[in-house]
Amino acid sequence: MSFKNILAPIASIVGVTLIGIVIFLGVYSWPAVKFNGFSFVVKNDWNLGNLYANPVMHRGHLIMPGAQYGILFLIVATLLSTLIAVVLAVPLGVGSAIFLSDGVPAVLRPWLSFFVELLAAVPSVVYGLWGYAAVIPLLSHTVFPWMAKHLAFIPFFAGDTGSGYGLLTSGFVLTLMIVPLITSTMRDALISQPRGLREAALALGATRFETMWSVILPSTRRVLIASSILATGRALGETMAVLMVGGGALNYLPNNIYAPITTMAAFIVSQLDSALEDPTGMAVRSLAEVALVLCVISVIVNGAARLMLYFSGYQRLGGGGWA
Amino acid sequence: MGVGIEVKDLNAWYGANHTLHDITLNIPANQCTALIGPSGCGKSTFVRCLNRMHETTPGAKVTGSVRIGDVDVYNGSSPVEIRRRIGMVFQRPNPFPTMSIYDNVSAGLRLNGFRNRKALDEIVERSLKQAALWDEVKNDLKKKSGASLSGGQQQRLCIARALAVDPEVMLMDEPASALDPVSTSKIEDLIFELKSQYTIVIVTHNMQQAARVAERTGFFLNGRLVEFDSTHKIFTNPSDKRTEDYITGRFG
Ligand SMILES: Nc1ncnc2c1ncn2[C@@H]1O[C@H](COP(=O)(O)OP(=O)(O)OP(=O)(O)O)[C@@H](O)[C@H]1O
Ligand SMILES: [Mg+2]
Repeated sequence: MSFKNILAPIASIVGVTLIGIVIFLGVYSWPAVKFNGFSFVVKNDWNLGNLYANPVMHRGHLIMPGAQYGILFLIVATLLSTLIAVVLAVPLGVGSAIFLSDGVPAVLRPWLSFFVELLAAVPSVVYGLWGYAAVIPLLSHTVFPWMAKHLAFIPFFAGDTGSGYGLLTSGFVLTLMIVPLITSTMRDALISQPRGLREAALALGATRFETMWSVILPSTRRVLIASSILATGRALGETMAVLMVGGGALNYLPNNIYAPITTMAAFIVSQLDSALEDPTGMAVRSLAEVALVLCVISVIVNGAARLMLYFSGYQRLGGGGWA
Repeated sequence: MGVGIEVKDLNAWYGANHTLHDITLNIPANQCTALIGPSGCGKSTFVRCLNRMHETTPGAKVTGSVRIGDVDVYNGSSPVEIRRRIGMVFQRPNPFPTMSIYDNVSAGLRLNGFRNRKALDEIVERSLKQAALWDEVKNDLKKKSGASLSGGQQQRLCIARALAVDPEVMLMDEPASALDPVSTSKIEDLIFELKSQYTIVIVTHNMQQAARVAERTGFFLNGRLVEFDSTHKIFTNPSDKRTEDYITGRFG
């Protein structure tokens, strides 16, 4: 048996499992997909109906009276909290990677790097708890009121700052969870750039910053994109932490950046119990449809990012500017 | 135009490793000076001290004085200023892989804040012509990356990049050691062309190369400058026994 013959079945188990899960989700949620139709993704009305009444037939499906399912608010919340997290985490992650690779003495580097890896290994429920106990009081009493007052000129920054549970808090907690991911991959990529490259720039009279910014960093852009994809995936699917700090919004869209939200993953967890009360099973199947939509979104985001990677590698020479 | 280099009592260290001992020599302007010597004797360290690249290695230290023209390299100037006036070509070609050929050549100028597009175009063309690379790349200046060229072309690109800022001195650390004979002879021709306008310091392991391109040659051994004289004298009638042993191939 060759190496390849051993590895091929192992590799295919991964692929088959993934396809199996998606097919299962599709088949299992199929009645919900048919019942909910397109309005599932464009309406804000998740309603289990009257669970104490008798099931009724509606459009060919047996459901509880008044039940309907629309999850636009979940999709919006998931995308927005992920967007906030990625927008904050990329510069933070790259910045700390630059610091770790170039700004600290070589003796300190392993210690700081170990610390970053440790951050990546902390279970998300711990972040959630910390957010709940430490961050939210600070945000709701100090930071958010300040932002609403002084940054009101930015759209969606003004208005009621609420309880501290919400979109921006979720974004912050997600940021914290994905920064270590970006930092550790980018640090490795920056360190592994050939020494000659750095010397070429320095010998031309580039400062350390110019060398990093215009020469070293651009040559790691593919790693940056790849690690941002991973980080996005992690943020999209993160459950526990956003469940704890999101504020649990139901059926409305956030009206500003502080408003309560629920993300798709958090919603599945928080609603499973009550959905199981539904004797027709439509509620659970609709939750499965939420999971299906989350999968589809992940695939789309991944595909888009991969396209970016493709174009950054083949179409553009990249970097190009000291300016 | 090139300027001369005066080195006095130069000592260099890597951490506790005392690599260069009391080097004193005068490198004349607008000539090519070759540095030869066995591996590990400190040739690279020496040229890297001339443009303050040595100190970019963690733990490295330098004492003594270097004057390039009327600039005191280690006194009153910043390393960045010094490096902008001195071109350097390394043993391994190191073009910027994310930049186009054009951007590679113009990198030093853009770094200096030079923005005039038309002048940039002219300088890029002139530098590539000087480096004997123009004809091979003129059609993909902005299309191809610096890393897509062959090794010999990459090295000539690096030379063009160094020439574009019109340096007073060119330091070349074994510029042809990674190249085939054809590329090597192109680079030697190039050095021949350039030395009327630039002061060139070239490190080489190839004694024929030193004999072909250099007016003066210095022989290093164990971190010391053993002999520094006209190339002709070094290769035909060296004053020091160790130089003679080295060039006749008895060691090194
Ligand atoms: N980055 C470094 N860290 C520690 N020691 C170094 C470093 N670079 C060089 N050395 C030491 O300094 C001494 C001189 O090295 P240098 O590179 O100047 O020699 P060289 O004459 O250029 O040799 P070669 O012909 O092999 O290039 C050597 O003993 C080497 O071990
Ligand atoms: Mg060397």
